[in-house]
Amino acid sequence: MPSDRSTEAEFVRPVRRLVLGVMAVVLLMLFLLWRIDSPRIERFRSAVVDTVIPNMDWAMAPVTRVARMFEDFRSYARIYEQNQELRRELQQMRAWREAALQLEQRNAQLLDMSRVRLDPQLTHMTGIVMADSGSPYRQSVLINVGGRDGIVDGWAVMDGLGLAGRIAGVGDRSSRVILLTDSNSRVPVQVQPSGQRALLSGDNSPVPVLEFVESADALRPGDRVVSASDGGVFPPGLLVGEVVQGSDGRLRVRLAADYGRLDFLRVLRSRPAERIEQSGTLLRPLDAAGTPLDPATDQPFAAPDLTPAPGPTVPAVPTPGTPSLPDEVTSAPAVDTAGAANE
Amino acid sequence: MNEQLRFETLAYLGLFLLIAALTILARLLPLSVAADAWPRPDVLLPLTMAWVLRRPVHLPAIAIVLAFLAEDLFMMRPPGLWALVVLFGTEFLRRRHSVVREMNLLLEWALVAAVMVAMFVAYRLGLVIVMTPRPPLDLSLLTLVFTMIIYPVVVLVLQGLLRVRKPATGEVDELGRKI
Repeated sequence: MPSDRSTEAEFVRPVRRLVLGVMAVVLLMLFLLWRIDSPRIERFRSAVVDTVIPNMDWAMAPVTRVARMFEDFRSYARIYEQNQELRRELQQMRAWREAALQLEQRNAQLLDMSRVRLDPQLTHMTGIVMADSGSPYRQSVLINVGGRDGIVDGWAVMDGLGLAGRIAGVGDRSSRVILLTDSNSRVPVQVQPSGQRALLSGDNSPVPVLEFVESADALRPGDRVVSASDGGVFPPGLLVGEVVQGSDGRLRVRLAADYGRLDFLRVLRSRPAERIEQSGTLLRPLDAAGTPLDPATDQPFAAPDLTPAPGPTVPAVPTPGTPSLPDEVTSAPAVDTAGAANE
Repeated sequence: MNEQLRFETLAYLGLFLLIAALTILARLLPLSVAADAWPRPDVLLPLTMAWVLRRPVHLPAIAIVLAFLAEDLFMMRPPGLWALVVLFGTEFLRRRHSVVREMNLLLEWALVAAVMVAMFVAYRLGLVIVMTPRPPLDLSLLTLVFTMIIYPVVVLVLQGLLRVRKPATGEVDELGRKI
């Protein structure tokens, strides 16, 4: 029998070696193949997993169920701790709730306080956009309120958020709003953090250009642009948009008003601020009738070409309450119509 | 009697494959979704090594390769490399099973640990050579250390529960030859 065993070992050993070598080579080839052509082997791997794992469902389900039950049991054991923890959390939540209520009240107060009118005289009326004459040369819309409703040329028009344009042409029941993007629109604006003044001039593109900026370095994209009262065209402080830098390097303004959906427009009844037209009248003493007196003689001025009678001949201080529209406003539509005529 | 012994060998082979499948399945089970802070030790590797040192007849190399290749595939490791390394490691141990038979557990443990370290180095080296992304070194080292630590436990389980012991003097194999 020992001889039998030795003879067997003699042919078993080389075969064993061969089998081992083949297996090693196959494994190495598999690994290298995976390294070279990973997607193919990964597909093979996922195919193997796909065939095996769903078949293991019967094994997985009870095991996971048992594991979950075990977890549940452990949580039962911890129920007292959990209760304590929940109580603590509830206590904290009460504190938070109190804080939230206080904050809510405070927020309401602040909201109430912040509802400040820019100007008490600044009231508005809302009109519906009837037509939209969107041509490449003309950016304007028609709204359904007009002279019958007291609309005056030059008033500012906003949508819910920002300045949209101004009235340029008033009919009896309708009026035309020239939008800020129109190439004839020139609006004085102020850029908010730096306080720089500029002119917003439309060029028929969706983002109007900022012109006549004093120092463009002080502006940066994202700055808020609000309307300025220069020239008396607009009430100051209305939101216009934010500064962006166009692809051509010029500073432009992305408008806050949503021009894509101009359905309702708000016309601001603006009364132009009092204007001081004459330099001397403020400082001069007045007599009882309100006539300016010459400080040297304490007598009313004697204009050389006028009769010395006081009263209407003397330039009067503009009486508050009866303002007249400034020239710029009344003349602005004329410029627009001239522009329209040119086109 | 020979038939019974041969059947016993086949049964042990089946048992090994079953245990291998169970360990792989246990790692696939969605028991703990959150990653553990400590990596789990690899049970299959010390089991295989202890088994090969005790009864090399039970585990033909092809069975070991199949088990570890399956583990490669299911554990999303690069397929083949770890199985190859394990093949070399177990063949190294298989050659020395008659020597280890004389050793006590402590010496055997040291030998197995050394083989494990060599296998670890070879595996990392293989990954480095083909420039494959490697698992983080610290976690792999921790796994290696845990695997080395649980080796005596695995040996105890193997001898106590599965009754895979080192052959006593005078035991015979299925062909009636002395082991």
